[in-house]
Amino acid sequence: MTTILSDELLSELMAVGQVDVLVGLPTLNHSDSVAPVVRAAHVAFNRELARERTALVNVDGGSTDGTPDIVRDASIVDRETLVASQSLRTRHRISAPYHGVPGKAAALRTVFAAADLLQARAVVVLDPEIASVTPESVAALARPALAGAADFVSPAYARHPLDGALVTQVVRPLFRAAYGLALREPLAGEFGCSGPFAARCLEESAWETDDLRLAIDLWISGMAAGEARRVAEISLGPRRLTPRPRPGVAALVPQVLDALFTCLRLQEARWTSRSEAITVARLGAPLGPPDLGGSVDVTGYTTLFRDGLAALGEMLERALQPPTLAALRAAAAPGQAVDIPDDLWGGALRELAAAHRHATVSRDHLVRVAVPLYLGRVASFAAEVAGLDPRAAEERLDALCRNFERSRSELVALWTAPAR
Amino acid sequence: MVEAILTTLRETWSGYVEGLRLVIPRLLAMVSVVVAGWVVAALARAAVNRGLGWLRVARLAERTGTAELLRKAELPPAERLVASAVFWLLFFGFLLAGLDALGFHTLASLRTEILVLVPRLVGALVILAVGLVLANVVWRVVLLATVNAGWPSARLAGGAVYFLTVTVAVAMALDHVGLARPIVLAAFAIVLGTVMLAVAIALGIGLGPLVRRLVEERLTRRGGPESDGSSHL
Repeated sequence: MTTILSDELLSELMAVGQVDVLVGLPTLNHSDSVAPVVRAAHVAFNRELARERTALVNVDGGSTDGTPDIVRDASIVDRETLVASQSLRTRHRISAPYHGVPGKAAALRTVFAAADLLQARAVVVLDPEIASVTPESVAALARPALAGAADFVSPAYARHPLDGALVTQVVRPLFRAAYGLALREPLAGEFGCSGPFAARCLEESAWETDDLRLAIDLWISGMAAGEARRVAEISLGPRRLTPRPRPGVAALVPQVLDALFTCLRLQEARWTSRSEAITVARLGAPLGPPDLGGSVDVTGYTTLFRDGLAALGEMLERALQPPTLAALRAAAAPGQAVDIPDDLWGGALRELAAAHRHATVSRDHLVRVAVPLYLGRVASFAAEVAGLDPRAAEERLDALCRNFERSRSELVALWTAPAR
Repeated sequence: MVEAILTTLRETWSGYVEGLRLVIPRLLAMVSVVVAGWVVAALARAAVNRGLGWLRVARLAERTGTAELLRKAELPPAERLVASAVFWLLFFGFLLAGLDALGFHTLASLRTEILVLVPRLVGALVILAVGLVLANVVWRVVLLATVNAGWPSARLAGGAVYFLTVTVAVAMALDHVGLARPIVLAAFAIVLGTVMLAVAIALGIGLGPLVRRLVEERLTRRGGPESDGSSHL
């Protein structure tokens, strides 16, 4: 573990001593968004977790915009909060660069190693891009582990049915089918966990692989499926991201699919052998009405789906099975609305996952081939839920997950079958 | 008179028999070298075939697109093609050695010329093979990028890049062989120049407004919601 932590960080941590709650904040050029997150953590330390020994560790990937300085200097401006409940213990705030290959995986490994060293009972990892983080949400992610009620706590947000379509249409159902873990946000960069769970994650050899670099968030959720004794999900209200330039959908879909399929490959022994679904405790107030913002604009998706399917036929033939491709081609026929039902979508995703595992097509190309298919599915789903109220649309999303779960045996069979 | 005829016949026949006595061992030597060469080449072919199978070259060929190219060209799979090349290369070498055993001076000079040509031919084939694989990879990358960027002529863009890469590879391979180099270079320059000129004229005169519209659409879209995919996460 000492090789994971730099000498400088190690000496700072040694000065801290034991803590109850460790908040980890991985950053990389987040000067525009990190200050409110740090303030939220500190208000939580002073108000919500006033009786606990706490520390915030910022592990920075080499920011060039002064992010570590902002973390160190971020002051609590909410006077009222401080007056209402003063901290009972010393607060520690450490900002340090991490060793190893740049990426969030190395940062999380440093956070877990720090938590192990400080014998933290609860670890909270925050995403510096989530603008909606509040002191209450920080504490909510920590409390189940502090109370021994859960080893892993995943966030749940009230979102528009078309907000986060990559999560709702791809990651959530496939993750649930594979791992048997019904998490709403398996891709979330923020979560809470117990100290022992963090220590157990540290023992995994996957940290040494380069594959983990992009798949770390899903990998942690996947670890929860096997290593957490109890898994909980806590509703944190609406979710807002800090406005900043982000990659477009043509770049995001390959990234997320690569992360998902890589994660399935890294943990195949874990999920292919499981027999039962894992119970997830739902904590906090029930999710309120979904945030009406953030819906995906599907204009033009139908055309992109049709054109993409026609142009990429040769590559799709090697990734998908003939009946699936034929059904997708039928769905793309001109003169009618694109309709990709759950069964077809599930089959296509399973076959893409297996093709990624067996590398029947270059993996880099495979995840890019999937972009038009994803756009077609989103267009199809958007048309389907257009007239539904949010609750009914939410139920529709759950039905998609259940459909994927029912076809789990097909996923395992495709995954474990020899390469075509 | 009769005596003279008989003497001539005797000398002719004895010379012929002497010639046969000299040629037959060389012929047998050649046949034995060729047969041994065939056996060695066949064994090498089997070994290479098996070795490449063990190294999963077929899968590599599928991933790089070489297998698809070979299928399109109605050629055998990559591992069988390489094994066949090894067979013919070895067998050809033994065949030349066998011909050398006959001791014909004209064949010896021919053999020298062939021996000079063979490495160049092999080099040219390697250049061609690498060029085809590269063209396939580049074609896929361009096709995927243009399709996902929503370009209306994605296949055309991919096909043009493929054609250009293959053309360059073929020109390089022919240049490497060194046969009629000026003609090859002139032909390449003429073909490429003609294509580029045709494209320039077509774009400039015929498709000017379309290109302008496409570029405007592209630039407009770049600033739109698609540049931020956060709502998909």
